[in-house]
Amino acid sequence: PRARLLCGPGLRRSGAGLLVTKCGLLRHRPAGGGAYWVDSQQKRYVPVKGDHVIGIVTAKAGDVFRLDVGGSEPASLSYLAFEGATKRNRPNLQVGDLVYGQFVVANKDMEPEMVCIDSSGKSSGMGIIGQDGFLFKVSLGLIRKLLAPKCEIIQELSQLYPFELVLGMNGRIWVKAKTVQQTLIIVNILEACEYMTAQQRKQALAKLSGN
Amino acid sequence: RQPLSPCVAGERLCSTEEATAGSGTYTRHGFIFSSLAGCLERTNEDSELPVVSVVRDSESQLLPNVGAVVTCKVCSINSRFAKVHILYVGSTPLKSTFRGTIRREDIRATEKDKVEVYKSFRPSDIVLAKVISLGDAQSNYLLSTAENELGVVVARSEAGVQMVPISWCEMQCPRTHTKEFRKVARVQPQFLQT
Repeated sequence: PRARLLCGPGLRRSGAGLLVTKCGLLRHRPAGGGAYWVDSQQKRYVPVKGDHVIGIVTAKAGDVFRLDVGGSEPASLSYLAFEGATKRNRPNLQVGDLVYGQFVVANKDMEPEMVCIDSSGKSSGMGIIGQDGFLFKVSLGLIRKLLAPKCEIIQELSQLYPFELVLGMNGRIWVKAKTVQQTLIIVNILEACEYMTAQQRKQALAKLSGN
Repeated sequence: RQPLSPCVAGERLCSTEEATAGSGTYTRHGFIFSSLAGCLERTNEDSELPVVSVVRDSESQLLPNVGAVVTCKVCSINSRFAKVHILYVGSTPLKSTFRGTIRREDIRATEKDKVEVYKSFRPSDIVLAKVISLGDAQSNYLLSTAENELGVVVARSEAGVQMVPISWCEMQCPRTHTKEFRKVARVQPQFLQT
């Protein structure tokens, strides 16, 4: 019986065969009819519909905010796209604030549009990110690793200190812990996780929790 | 025809009692003024009065009138409208392209509020449209595709191959077999070439 083969990111169908469009490692998953995709390292983010990202407010233009999301164009965010926002009750966003939202329109021909509510009108964790904390940029592959269920890095770090963490698919991470020193330690560990093996990471964390 | 003499825009040519205004001229306060910088042409008495007109080049520029069907190429899209370059008026090519706008509510005749510009046009599509207005001060013709015979005629898929229409709202790429949404024009069978 013929099954449907899924052609994932990095591959494109061409005539009778498949063409590789990105450089990286070819992966295969035999479950559910089989899926092939290419794992590639990338730092530059391309907006995709449905992705949750962290944006920085750069301008207010009428009733729309312009956010920098790390793509080729700034994204637009309407002031009505927040939970409980009406024409009288505007959200309190200033230039330079951080916003966690998802894309509703994101393609190569138009300017991307973001919202901070989901399809039922609830915010479900999205919205303005509070004061303090630290924002930094990592590669997209590390974000995908951190977002996997039961990620070891996050479990080990949470045993070190309690902290708040927001992960944006555009490579941006926001961290806030009790003191500035703890925040910076977590930032350094997360940045180094890109290149450390699991063994090295456990050693570094053991050294820190011993102090 | 009389020999041509040059004139500038705003030059008063003659009074409306001596001649009638032709193309490239306008009448004010009982006199005929030129609206272009070009050559003055005066036709001899055919019926009652001669017709005075100002001609810029040797061939007169064909301007799109209201109600004319034009062929245009989409240059950019937005969530509210699509900007196009007008290439042909009817079947005559234009020497310089004009700019036009197709608003979101003028793309289709039915269900105008459910229209998505991204699912109707993409940049570099060739579209047949009708002029509905000469436009505002930015000289953008206002166009409409709200008829069955108007819409996308030629479109390329994301793979770069010319697509084949399969319904009034979908086109398919022959190489990757992916379907893309467009507002497709129903071209009359006599104009199709296979």
